[in-house]
Amino acid sequence: MKGLLLKDWYMIKKYCRAYLVIAAILIAVSVVAETNLFLLFYPCMLCGVIPVNLLSYDERSNWLRYSCTMPYTKKQIVSAKYLIGILSQLALIALTGIAQGIKMTLNGSFEFKDFAVFISVMLALATLSSSIPLPFVFKMGVEKGRIAYYVMIGVLCAASFFAANVIRGEKQAEFGVNTVFAALGIVGVGIYFLSWRLSVKLFSKREM
Amino acid sequence: MNALEIKNLNKTYPDFKLDNLNLTLPSGCIMGLIGENGAGKSTTVRLILNMIRKDSGSITILGRSHECKIELTKEEVGVVMDEVGIPECLTVKQVEKIMKNTFRSWDENEFRRLINKLSIPENKQFKDFSRGMKMKLGTAIAMSHNSKLLILDEATSGLDPVVRDEVVEMFNDFTRDENHSILISSHIVSDLEKLCDYIAFLHKGKLLLCEEKDKLLSEYGLIHCTAEALQSLPEGAVRFKKENPYGAKAMVLRSKVPASINICPISIEELFVFMVKEAG
Repeated sequence: MKGLLLKDWYMIKKYCRAYLVIAAILIAVSVVAETNLFLLFYPCMLCGVIPVNLLSYDERSNWLRYSCTMPYTKKQIVSAKYLIGILSQLALIALTGIAQGIKMTLNGSFEFKDFAVFISVMLALATLSSSIPLPFVFKMGVEKGRIAYYVMIGVLCAASFFAANVIRGEKQAEFGVNTVFAALGIVGVGIYFLSWRLSVKLFSKREM
Repeated sequence: MNALEIKNLNKTYPDFKLDNLNLTLPSGCIMGLIGENGAGKSTTVRLILNMIRKDSGSITILGRSHECKIELTKEEVGVVMDEVGIPECLTVKQVEKIMKNTFRSWDENEFRRLINKLSIPENKQFKDFSRGMKMKLGTAIAMSHNSKLLILDEATSGLDPVVRDEVVEMFNDFTRDENHSILISSHIVSDLEKLCDYIAFLHKGKLLLCEEKDKLLSEYGLIHCTAEALQSLPEGAVRFKKENPYGAKAMVLRSKVPASINICPISIEELFVFMVKEAG
């Protein structure tokens, strides 16, 4: 599988440079600007679509079919994308986390509980951005997979709106919102794992 | 040992059926799979490589069933498809590193030798390669991991005659080792005629014949005569005929034609066209 990961790394360096630059700028701005959820969470979602973009390039160059002629199982082909996805997401979360941790410390507002919630939400957003479209992409190809991604963005926006406006204020205590948010990261990783299992199953049945 | 054995292989699509295919490629030999577009050549190759699921039948590659850990068997199988699926942004050096981490038996020296021999530029991105260069790189990869079997699906189509000749020469070199075999599918029959020991004709998903090339060429011949002269030939001598107001041309079984009649050699291409027309 090392060969697959290496290939994806070369492609990230070539095609996802713009993503990395945008993410770096947003992270830098989020450090100096006032707290803005868009600045904090958008890079995670951007990073989450890297595996789908890699698959899009793979499909265009016929790599998926070519890799099936090599000594790789379909499980390995799927796993490489999930692995490269989670590694890039973790790297970005670490970077954002360090930046925000420094900012909070300098402001004197660092609280571990808040910080953990922040990391957990980032992890959930990043993993969900990949988890939902990837099984569709592995089953049906990139174009139809993208539709699933847009649907997922809609669902996430609706969920964010619900979280921001309905569960806010007086109901916060009742719902134990911080606890829910803290658990989101674990849920996100769990869904990522299930998504991987589903993608392996779907891709194994796909004829190349 | 046979490099490849296919028995009673079937695959059905809504508009196409690969019908009970049987093929055997002995080790050390080159088999050409000839067929018109849509005859089932690529379907056969994809079934061999387990890229699509068969409905029934069995496939054995290098003595191992293709259902049993085919990824291990693929270590010893070099494949060149009609399009080499290397991502456009990669250079030869990057491709080399990827393949080194893909094939356990990757032979760096052999790859270097082939790259130099074929004058493949090392620092250009794959997207800047001509089709000929792309196919050459695909071929170099397929031949650089100690493959025992090469499976080539339309690997020479779309190449100019000079590049085709170079590539065909490389395939010839490859089979100097008696453990090396090649299955090559193409609709460019002239390439296969130069290269192959065995010829298999596929037509509309059915195998019309699978035979040693030399035997085919010695068994069949071509005669040009009048329509009346053709009718006087013994029964069973004529396999297929084409008549026009100026005369007749027929594919004949040499053994059934009287020695007094002049029989011309037949090319594999003519044989194929006759057989396809006979099959309808």
